[in-house]
Amino acid sequence: MSNVDDTAKPVASGTVEKTDSHFHAYGKNRLGLYLTLPAQILVLFIALFPLLMQLYISLTDWTPLTGVRWPQAYQLWSGLANYADLLDDDRFYGALWRTFFIIIVAVPIEFFLGLAMALLFMDEFPAKRLFYSALLVPMMIVPAVAGYMFFLLFQSGGPINQLLSLALGTKVAISWLSDPDLALAAVIISDIWQWTPLMFLILLAGLLGVPSEQLKAATLLGASPWQRFLTILLPKIKAIMVIALAIRTIELFKIFDTLYIMTAGGPGVATETISVFIFKITTQELVWGYVAALALLILFTLSVIAGLAMYFLQRKKREVAA
Amino acid sequence: MTISNKHTRRDALKLGGKSALLMSGAVLGTSFIRPGRSFAADALEPGMIGGPTGFPGAELYQYGPDSPEGRAIEAVKEIVGKGTAPKSIKLALSEGSIGQLTKPFPEGAPSIKDLWEKETGITLDIIGIPEGQGFTKTIQDISTKAGAYDIYTLDYNRLGDLAETGGVVKLDAYVEKHRPEWDHPTEGYVGGEQGVSLLNKYSGSYYGVSLDGDFQTWIYRTDLFGDDKERRAFQSKYGYELQQPRTWKELDDIAAFFHRPDEGLFGCTDLRNQGWGYTNWYQRYVSTGSPNRFLWSDDAEPLINSAEGVMATQEYIDSLDYHSPDAISWGWPEQYGNMASGGTAMTCAFSNMPKFLDNAANEGSKVTGKMGSMLPPGREIDGKLVRRSVLWFSLTSAVSTQAENPEICYLFLQWLGSSKIYTWMTANPAGYFDPFQLANFSDPLVMRTYHDYHVETIKETVRRAVPTINYPGATAFHNALDENLMAALTGSKTAEQAMADTEKQWSRITRRTGKEKLVAAIRANNAAWPTILDPLG
Amino acid sequence: MQRSVIFELIRYCLVLIALFFAMIPVFWMISMAFKPIAEWTASGADLTWWPKAPTLDNFRFIFGQNTNALIVELERTAGRAILASLLSSVIGTLIAMVVGTSAAYGLSRYNYGKNLPLALIQLRLFPPLAVMIPVMIMWTFLNLVDTWWGLSLIYGIVTLPFSFWLMKTYFDEMPKEIEEAALVEGCSRFRVFTRITLPMMAGPLASSALLVFILNWSDYLIALMLTTREWVTIPVYMASLSSSMTGQLYGAKAALGLIAAIPPVIFGIAIQKHLVRGLTFGALKQ
Repeated sequence: MSNVDDTAKPVASGTVEKTDSHFHAYGKNRLGLYLTLPAQILVLFIALFPLLMQLYISLTDWTPLTGVRWPQAYQLWSGLANYADLLDDDRFYGALWRTFFIIIVAVPIEFFLGLAMALLFMDEFPAKRLFYSALLVPMMIVPAVAGYMFFLLFQSGGPINQLLSLALGTKVAISWLSDPDLALAAVIISDIWQWTPLMFLILLAGLLGVPSEQLKAATLLGASPWQRFLTILLPKIKAIMVIALAIRTIELFKIFDTLYIMTAGGPGVATETISVFIFKITTQELVWGYVAALALLILFTLSVIAGLAMYFLQRKKREVAA
Repeated sequence: MTISNKHTRRDALKLGGKSALLMSGAVLGTSFIRPGRSFAADALEPGMIGGPTGFPGAELYQYGPDSPEGRAIEAVKEIVGKGTAPKSIKLALSEGSIGQLTKPFPEGAPSIKDLWEKETGITLDIIGIPEGQGFTKTIQDISTKAGAYDIYTLDYNRLGDLAETGGVVKLDAYVEKHRPEWDHPTEGYVGGEQGVSLLNKYSGSYYGVSLDGDFQTWIYRTDLFGDDKERRAFQSKYGYELQQPRTWKELDDIAAFFHRPDEGLFGCTDLRNQGWGYTNWYQRYVSTGSPNRFLWSDDAEPLINSAEGVMATQEYIDSLDYHSPDAISWGWPEQYGNMASGGTAMTCAFSNMPKFLDNAANEGSKVTGKMGSMLPPGREIDGKLVRRSVLWFSLTSAVSTQAENPEICYLFLQWLGSSKIYTWMTANPAGYFDPFQLANFSDPLVMRTYHDYHVETIKETVRRAVPTINYPGATAFHNALDENLMAALTGSKTAEQAMADTEKQWSRITRRTGKEKLVAAIRANNAAWPTILDPLG
Repeated sequence: MQRSVIFELIRYCLVLIALFFAMIPVFWMISMAFKPIAEWTASGADLTWWPKAPTLDNFRFIFGQNTNALIVELERTAGRAILASLLSSVIGTLIAMVVGTSAAYGLSRYNYGKNLPLALIQLRLFPPLAVMIPVMIMWTFLNLVDTWWGLSLIYGIVTLPFSFWLMKTYFDEMPKEIEEAALVEGCSRFRVFTRITLPMMAGPLASSALLVFILNWSDYLIALMLTTREWVTIPVYMASLSSSMTGQLYGAKAALGLIAAIPPVIFGIAIQKHLVRGLTFGALKQ
């Protein structure tokens, strides 16, 4: 994350110039412009029109059901009514809360499982390569098929209950997907299954990057594994932990594919996340002005959060440097 | 399928000769080669100008110049002659229905698509739409002006919403000009003009052409109901004979009796999931009044938040006891799969269930020869039995305003949706389109595919079916009901709360949609409800 | 390092437990792919973990051969969907990698595009669904709906943040001395980038590309909205595998799922030795 301050805030450029001296000795070079131009164009391409259009129709009650084409949406001008409705929509808050709940539960579990697995794989042992590859397989499975398989696994007469019955010694017949709480649990379990491998992969990369001499030295000095972890490994991989957590949080906020195929947001709205909510009101209720307002509200909120996160990371970095 | 067919065709060509022609019966009439043309059976009956040929009984589906099909074809030819016809028309169709247009039936016949192309020279370009995506793809096409389809196909409930988008063509002028005779007294729609109005019209104008009859029909297992041991056990437990249930109470008894989840048998599997389950709530609710209990008063006031609404909802919740523990997450694919594996004693489904599952060609089905069908259970009111089913989903086609030549599209639909061609098509087991016209129910091919026992039930069920909400806001109204029923099923709301909340949401949607617009639509809808009552005995 | 036998045993047990849980759904998919229709949804006592009567019918079916147990018309075979997925995911990944890597280098070395880090994070944070309507309108206007290039373009854009951020961390971490030496010797700046910097980045490039490819390959939602028939991808095609004869065609879905797992697994194995090294995100520098 060290790069953030180089770029996001020119304030930090004092330290930057020192390290980049030779490149900058030639002054600003056109090559930099050419190299970044395609990305700028793509961002502008995907952001400009959609955002302007969303901004426009979010101020109207436009829906395709009115027979009015979107450029004429002003005929249905409603001012800020959509935003007001949004702030008063329990279903929206419910979906938001559920999304955060899934994040709050799934991300830490994925993180600790991934970290534990990564620690197990730090040193060499027979057949390590094989185990390591096999453990990465879940994230290579197309989420759609994972959704169908989990739907079957979680049937009341299905394999998961059969395994539980075996383990507990009594007959288990839980209706996972028909119970609002358990359906949410099932969705979280499927996400943990699919994405713990990514956590594992990233954290293992971090752990293996720690110089082995330091670990050896600590062992010779009689440090326990726990002490070695706390004093040597943890500080070294802190940054990578933040990255791993950030990636999963960002991706989980949009959770849709597996979940939608497993439960379609049901039963009722028990597993309706933000993405499922948007999908449903976009494709069924067709209140597109409302969807636009929702989109902009989310974009605004997320931008503030992302901006703040970058700002704080950068400040911390500067403190460390100072 | 397509690949293997091509192989067979090519092989047949190579072999040549009579045996090969006989062998390739299933692929006759394809656009690739039509060996059938040389057969005597291929000739049309005298006086006929078109229709299928090449199989015994084909003359039943041939038409003369002064018939809905004949007029449609003649009009298309005239347009083609003027040079203003497009080369092809793009038809959006749910994937499961395509087979009925592309697969020849019965042996020796051409496919619908081939026949149309042969008679008009206009290519029929069918674009498959994944299940459940029909409305979304249609709205997407209309609002982005994509023009990907000339004809949309979606559930009839959405016709009102669709008409309001301005994306589909008002068909009144074409209907008047080409006379489809949908209300023909012996061949046309059940209920005559009223049936036509329900399925094809919105706010007094034609917007759709019905291509389906999704009257929810009840199925039971004859092997279980006919088993002597079961009959004795039932009699001694409940004190009356085991037979097709006449009332909801009897259905509950029988379902509870057969419910043996440990043996892989459920009592009843009529759906309880989101998006589909409420059709079974409908049946319980509308039968609480004689001759009907409406959803709305004629003044657009919701009637569901009442003692009857609560009772129906409570029954609907309680019946979960004899459903699969996973009922709340089961859609029709699971329901059909479960029935195929012999997993239930009774169910309520689209009328095509026996066509697919009591089907010797379906090796995956364990219930072939073991299915029976029955009228919907009802309630005893004033010495009569009120039995009600429900018409829900039912595919309907509409012509896009983006179509190059809307008239040709309409003419295709008139041709396809009129009694002769439609009867022939609905008999084809390769797709979802179900019988709904009077002509369909007496047809030998339909009888063969749908089975005699079931055709009779469908016909009687149609007479007892109430329409679902099909006016503007239909989706929103159904979603509100659905959402609250799901909350009741999962125990997060009581039946009373669910009905009260539904009423509240319905009133809000009413305000948004515009009450005047709704009053007219609700009155038209209420007027189409059946009044038939059954004797108790 | 001295390790006790007990420690090794515990390690093996834990690894095996993890493997067990990771493999349940994978095993179920593989087993399902070879199950005949009667075993697809069998439950309770009839449940079979291993197919009782293994068959290749599911595979034959999705590639268009008539199989007796599945008398269903398939309008399209899976071959086309696999082609669509491969084409759009590979090209999408190329777009994301080329554009993202160049931009990351431009920013890291020449300090251009200072708005990109935040802009791209916002792009990735944002649920694509929320702008699907404008995107659909744009794509229709530009005639990109249901084309492989239209799909590749949107894939390239939505995964651009990943390639950019990953590559940027590596460029920041990488010592600049070698490049500077080459510059001093008169090598052109572009040559330095393509001939000196990029080859040194082979590992990170490969592992970033794998992640980006997996994200594109997995997509269901975007393809659902932006394709209609010619270029329907594997997940969308898979969702359409159901019939009234038998309900959901789970066996066929699983067979397709099994096939769909092959490209990422092969990709993963091919770059295995880079995989761990390549994902340090430059975060170890501090």
